[in-house]
Amino acid sequence: MANFIPAGDGTHTGWRAAVQKFGGNLAGMVIPNIGAFIAWGLLTALFIPTGWLPNEDLSSMVGPMIINLLPILIGYTGGRLVHGQRGAVIGAIATVGVIVGTAIPMFLGAMLIGPLAAWVLKKIDELLDPRTPVGFEMLIGNFSLGITGMLMAILGYLGIGPTVNAFSDVLGRGVQTLIDTGLLPLASILIEPAKILFLNNAINHGVLAPIGVIQAEEMGKSIMFMLETNPGPGLGILLAFWLAGPKILRGSAPGAIIIHFLGGIHEIYFPYVLMKPLLVLAAIAGGATGVAVFLVTGVGLVATPSPGSIFAYLAVTPAGNHFGVLLGIALSAAVSFVVAWTILKATGSKDDAADLEAAQAKARAMKTGASE
Amino acid sequence: MAKVSADSVKNIVVACEAGMGSSVMVAKQLAKQLKANGIEVTHAPVNQLASTTHDLVLCHRSLSQRAKQAVPESVVIAFDMFLGDMNIARLVGALQTGQDISDD
Repeated sequence: MANFIPAGDGTHTGWRAAVQKFGGNLAGMVIPNIGAFIAWGLLTALFIPTGWLPNEDLSSMVGPMIINLLPILIGYTGGRLVHGQRGAVIGAIATVGVIVGTAIPMFLGAMLIGPLAAWVLKKIDELLDPRTPVGFEMLIGNFSLGITGMLMAILGYLGIGPTVNAFSDVLGRGVQTLIDTGLLPLASILIEPAKILFLNNAINHGVLAPIGVIQAEEMGKSIMFMLETNPGPGLGILLAFWLAGPKILRGSAPGAIIIHFLGGIHEIYFPYVLMKPLLVLAAIAGGATGVAVFLVTGVGLVATPSPGSIFAYLAVTPAGNHFGVLLGIALSAAVSFVVAWTILKATGSKDDAADLEAAQAKARAMKTGASE
Repeated sequence: MAKVSADSVKNIVVACEAGMGSSVMVAKQLAKQLKANGIEVTHAPVNQLASTTHDLVLCHRSLSQRAKQAVPESVVIAFDMFLGDMNIARLVGALQTGQDISDD
C-alpha cells in the first residue's frame, strides 16, 4: 500500500495549519450552537414588527436571545473545549460579565473570555488537585470554580467587555465605510481564495458573523452573513465542471451540486478548484458579483445561514428581501459559471485518467508546498 | 510512519473542522461500504481526535497535517475528493482484502 500519499509531516507546522487551527477553534465554539442561532433567526424573521407575522409578545424573546443566550452558549462551548464540563460552567459565568458590560451582542468577547476563564480554572485545578485532602474534593472543587468564576466575570465586566466593545466599534465603522463607498465586493478577493483553503468556517463564524449580529441587532439584517455563505459561486463552478470539466470528473459533479447547493456543504467544491487553481478567479468574480447585487438591492439576512444551503438562505431572509437575495445568488452562479467554463475550455483538459492523476498531483504539490 | 493491519481496524473516524458537516457525509458513505466487514465509521472534529476511539483516521488532505499532530501514533489517510475519491476506494479495497495499511 505504498501508493498512499503521506498525510503531511507531523513535525512541520505550516502557517495555514496554524491559521486553520485558530479559526477552527473559533468556529468550534459557534458551530455546535447553530441550532440556537436558527431558533433565534426564525423568531426574528417571523415576529419582529417588519416580519411575516408581527407579534409583540413573541418578539420579546428576540432581544434576550441574541444579547444573552447566544453569547453564553458560545462562552460555555469555548470553555468546554479547553477544560471539559468545569470549563464550560466557568466559561458561561465569565461571559455574563462581558455581556452586561456592553450593549452589543458580545460574540467576540464570549469567544475570548470563555476559553480564557476555562484555562485559568484548569491551571488552578492542576495546582489544587494534588493538595486536596480525601473527602474535600467536592467542597474545594465547587468553591474554586465559584470564586474563580466570580473573579473572571468581574474581569470580563471591567476589562474585556469595554475593550472588545471599542474594537467592535472600529471594526463596524470600517465595514460601514466599505458598504457606503461600495467597495465591499472587493472583500471577495480575500474571502473566496481563503474558502478554497478550508478557512471557510474560520472566516464566517470567526470574523464575519460576529460583525453581522451587531448589525442585525441594530438594523434587523446584515449583509455580513452573505459574504462567505453565498452558494452561488460554488454552484457555477460545479456546473462548469459538469459541462466542460475533465470527463472523469463530470460523473461526480451532479451529486456534488446537490450536496453543495441544497445540502450546504461547500467543502465539496474546494477540491475541484484545487485541481485547477486558476478557477479561483471564477469564485472571486462570482462572489464579488453576488456581494454587489446584495449591496445594490440593499438586502441582508437576519442570521448566519449555516450550513450555506439555499434552504438555510430562504429561512433567514427577512420579508421583502427575497428578490435581491435570490437575484444575487443566481447572478453570482451565472458569472462564476461563465468564467469557470471559459477557463476549463481554454486550458483544454485531456479526457483521460492520466490527466486527473496529474491534476491531483499538482493540487497536492500546491498544498504541501504551502506548508513547507 | 504509522501502520496497521486490516484485521485490527474495527473503528474508522472521519475528521473535519467542526465534525458535523463534510465528515458526517464521508462517514455515512463509507459506513455503507464497510458494514459487511464489521467496521464502524464515526466522525469527529479534528481538534478532538485524541479523545476519540479509533483504529484509523481519515480526513481531507488540507487537514491531514493537523490530524497527524493530534494523533501522531495513528494511521492518517488523506483524501482529495468528497465524492468518488481514489484513496478512499483504495483503502476500502485494502480493508476488504486484508492488506496492511500505512500512511507513508
